[in-house]
Amino acid sequence: MSAIDLALVCTFLPLGTALLLLVLPGLRRAGKTAGAISVAAASVALGAALLLFMRALQSPMLERVTMQWLPHAPPGAVDAAQSTIQLGVHLDGLSVSMLVVVCVVALCVQIFSLGYMASEPPADFGRYFMWQSLFLFAMNTLVIAPNLLQLFIGWELVGLVSYLLIGYYWQKPSAARAALKAFWMTKLADMGLVAGLVVLFKHTGGFEWTVHTEVAGTVTLLLFFAVMGKSAQFPLHVWLPDAMEGPTPVSALLHAATMVAAGVFLVARAHPLFEQAPSTQLVMAYVGAFTALFAACIAVVQNDIKKVLAYSTCSQLGYMVCALGSGSQVAGFFHLTTHAFFKALLFLAAGGLIHAVHSNDLRDMGGLFSRMKLTASAFIIGALALCGVPGFSGFFSKDLILEEVFARGLYAPFAALLLAAFLTAFYMGRVILLALFGKPSSHAEHAHESGVSMTLPLILLALPALGAGYFGTTLSGLYAEPVHFHTSAVGMLATALGLCGLGTAYFMFGAPQGGAALRAAFAPIGRLAASGLVDRAFLAVYRHGLRAFASAIGWFDRYIIDGLINALGYGTLEAGARLRPLQTGKLQDYVYAMAIATLALGTAAVFLR
Amino acid sequence: MSQHLISLLLALPLFAALVVLFTPRQMVGFIRGITVLAMLAELVASFGLLDGHYETAAMQFPERHVLVPTYGITYSVGVDGISLWLVLLTTFITPLATYASWTHIGTKVKEYAICLLMLEGAMLGAFFALDLFIFYVFWELMLVPMVLIIGIWGGVQRIYAAVKFFLFTMVGSVLMLVAILYLVAQYKAQTGHYSFELAELKLLLLPLKAQLWLFAAFALAFAIKVPMFPFHTWLPDAHVQAPTGGSVILAAVLLKLGTYGFLRFAMPLFPSGSHRMGPFIAGLAVTGIIYGAYCAWQQQDVKKLVAYSSVSHLGFVMLGIYSITSHGLSGSILQMVNHGISTGALFLLVGVIYERRHTRNLDEFGGLAKVMPAYAAVFVIVTMSSVGLPTTNGFIGEFMILAGAFMSAHLGISGPLCAFLGATGVILAAVYMLHAVLKMFWGPITKPENEGLPDLTRREGIALAPLLLLIFYIGLFPGRMLDSMKASVDTFASEYTNKLAQGDRHPTTRDILVVGPQTAALPQPASPLARLDAAPRKPAVRAVADVVAGGAP
Repeated sequence: MSAIDLALVCTFLPLGTALLLLVLPGLRRAGKTAGAISVAAASVALGAALLLFMRALQSPMLERVTMQWLPHAPPGAVDAAQSTIQLGVHLDGLSVSMLVVVCVVALCVQIFSLGYMASEPPADFGRYFMWQSLFLFAMNTLVIAPNLLQLFIGWELVGLVSYLLIGYYWQKPSAARAALKAFWMTKLADMGLVAGLVVLFKHTGGFEWTVHTEVAGTVTLLLFFAVMGKSAQFPLHVWLPDAMEGPTPVSALLHAATMVAAGVFLVARAHPLFEQAPSTQLVMAYVGAFTALFAACIAVVQNDIKKVLAYSTCSQLGYMVCALGSGSQVAGFFHLTTHAFFKALLFLAAGGLIHAVHSNDLRDMGGLFSRMKLTASAFIIGALALCGVPGFSGFFSKDLILEEVFARGLYAPFAALLLAAFLTAFYMGRVILLALFGKPSSHAEHAHESGVSMTLPLILLALPALGAGYFGTTLSGLYAEPVHFHTSAVGMLATALGLCGLGTAYFMFGAPQGGAALRAAFAPIGRLAASGLVDRAFLAVYRHGLRAFASAIGWFDRYIIDGLINALGYGTLEAGARLRPLQTGKLQDYVYAMAIATLALGTAAVFLR
Repeated sequence: MSQHLISLLLALPLFAALVVLFTPRQMVGFIRGITVLAMLAELVASFGLLDGHYETAAMQFPERHVLVPTYGITYSVGVDGISLWLVLLTTFITPLATYASWTHIGTKVKEYAICLLMLEGAMLGAFFALDLFIFYVFWELMLVPMVLIIGIWGGVQRIYAAVKFFLFTMVGSVLMLVAILYLVAQYKAQTGHYSFELAELKLLLLPLKAQLWLFAAFALAFAIKVPMFPFHTWLPDAHVQAPTGGSVILAAVLLKLGTYGFLRFAMPLFPSGSHRMGPFIAGLAVTGIIYGAYCAWQQQDVKKLVAYSSVSHLGFVMLGIYSITSHGLSGSILQMVNHGISTGALFLLVGVIYERRHTRNLDEFGGLAKVMPAYAAVFVIVTMSSVGLPTTNGFIGEFMILAGAFMSAHLGISGPLCAFLGATGVILAAVYMLHAVLKMFWGPITKPENEGLPDLTRREGIALAPLLLLIFYIGLFPGRMLDSMKASVDTFASEYTNKLAQGDRHPTTRDILVVGPQTAALPQPASPLARLDAAPRKPAVRAVADVVAGGAP
């Protein structure tokens, strides 16, 4: 099979599965069978992706097949080949690596879901897997896109699936609201991508990311707006924590590992375009760094384990965006890769914990380590990778980001990232100590290890979460100059801060006595972080801005525009009614009128001559 | 046969109406059957139109017979890339709407059938007509059955809505009639004989002042039909009161006659007038996009919501038309068809729930996805099409319109602004449509009346399935449609721009705004768009600036 065929299998097999489940309601409602088919398709997709990856390792891969989609030649297009709108497959190190990441995580999540969602009604179970398959299709469409238009198509489709999956428990009002919020926020941001495409199309006649254009600055800034929405950058991040209303495996796949990383992937993909726009990159570096720090602060005070992880995702995406803003495609994408593994692992493990205690709340957990050793160990591995503890995958990628940002002289973002590294270790330490150790709550007393479908994916993901970092040189070699990792002062500083964070967490939450003084010292920051300032600002704009404006327009339409029309109508009727008494029907009245009129006209004729 | 295809298409519904007329009114089943059969035969026959040469801009399947030689009234019909898809939309939507809503009509079935058949014939006639007299006849003929449908089979306030609809449309039409007569008189003055034929009248050169008035009269008639802000208030009332079948046809086809009228008549006949008022109309279009969207969001009645969304969507169509770019125009025509499909489907869906609950108030619903899962799924798909999600039909049309507006030389500096404001309309579409989805389908069931609602029946499913297929077919393979409209659209754009340049050389024309003499002397490249690009931007920009500075002409 050619490389292109493999990529098509990766993409269209899941679509076929989704369509099959759509048109055969019987199969869908069977539940388990639907899940099995979906998992089988995802396994084949992963196999194809791995084959592609092997080939890419052997020789640098660049394969591209496109077909004409729309016939319209744009004005001013010189190159006939460029002037048509095309869809197709573009395979290089970047897209192949991303395919593997997506397929690995998707397969693990689907296997995990078999167990996690087992108590759902069969019809809903089937629906869930239909959407999972659809997601894999949409995400792979995005990844193999040969131009930004196809990327946008995939981008919108993953947004749709995200909406559907966040609203999976649609009977719950909060889930329905969260789905709506996510769709609205991302749609708002996506118009940036549309605008970017339109500007690019006008000036280059196509949607290629390889072109040299004088409008790169505008285009990239518009694209970055969409990235901020999708990859949850401040201040458009507010939908992501709410998206945790979806089932936990969905959070792992869409809202941690892959879909939210699509924004980062876009920037890495369109690197040639972003390179031409240093000012956009600067904006990215600052927005990313601020998000990393800001979200980490909020994560510290969350009591919902999924919310902690959600804000942590925001924060880590901030790292990636900052790295890309510093101009380092490698650092950003490498962190995307490792983060996908360890964050998916964290979410799935958290899902296992939630499943066991039937609560998201950290205070309902505690002491779970002794009851579910495997899940808890997986969680700890993921957490240590996230904290950047040496040896784990996150250490390498985070270290690389810090070095790159430092090397490019972006000192303020660098400082923010360092501080965020400390906070990351601190909040993860807090979660571990509260959830896994300490005194078990009443919920946690009957917890027990989950079944094999929920532990196997943890093992599968734990391996790359542990080891992916060691292949950094190979991986980065696939799509850029290979990066050689070495120990530096910056790295040691970050590591030290991370360990400090863990230590602080231990003193505050783990140590038998103490911690009260420390907690009091941190309290003001905590209150600020817990206040949800950005959320409230958006809500105010929504309520007092948009809704109020809509009411005003509605009133205007009803009483002014339509009111005037109705007034005109009633005025005509009324005038007719007033004039009606003139037509008395009495002959003598008409004769009088004629006589008077004749007299008046005659007089006028005489005097006005 | 094929040279009389259009006449056949026009005769078939009218003949069927005649058959129904002489059928005893008790034979309800026969009447329903023969009506739908005639419409299906019409649909099949209209596929014959696809067999034309749309790679040229010439009229296909043309027919021409002089009717009244003294006054130059000609039966002149034809179809080109612009009208082809609207004709097919008409023949496609009418049987669907009829079939889906039969059970809703319990009284005067015979008259209802005659109305629908007459309506179909009249709409097709208006799309085919290439003679202003014929067009006007069909244009007014369309009004009668629609007013009856609203006024007889409508809701509680049907008389108010029908009268409002009638008066609004009439005001515009009468002025258009005056304009047509003036135009023909001018033609007589310049050539010595009468003609109502579009091709002849297009050759007439008119001074700018006359063009402005004439264009205004035509534009008012069409703008009311579209409907453009601020002439839209008849639409929500008409839609809410009309029976489902009427609503579907009204939204899917009748409104398109307005936008089509701009393309076929108002703009080619009076390019300078149109050009002067272009920024003003584009401004109204953008206002309509946003205004309609906010109004839609505000509605409690879901049918009104869909009606206002039409105002918003047709604002997009008008914006694309006034970009006068290949992209904008093609996108507009595509979007006309898309709107017909999506909004037609939405009205059918609203009809479905109204038949079950006899209310359309959003607050009365909630949690319907539990009892009506198939209905909910279809509704969400159609919503996504209405919102313009890629892979559904709405995306390409909207994208091309925004791109067209952005790069329009005619809109000049205001183009990007229009595109930006239009884009906010796309976001707002997601806001109001998904708001409705949330209120109708999600959350828990709060009203006991909703507990036992049956899901889609087979009849409803059969009616909706073709629409769903088209939503994805056009979304995935829009190339076929765009290919066949390309020649006509390009010719439209080039004729329009050329006539603007030509108008400048005409001695009686005071239109100094359009293109300077130095560009008029340039050799003209093959592509109209290349020509537009070759011309210096400044004059167009200046034209816009002048209009802005001087206010609307």
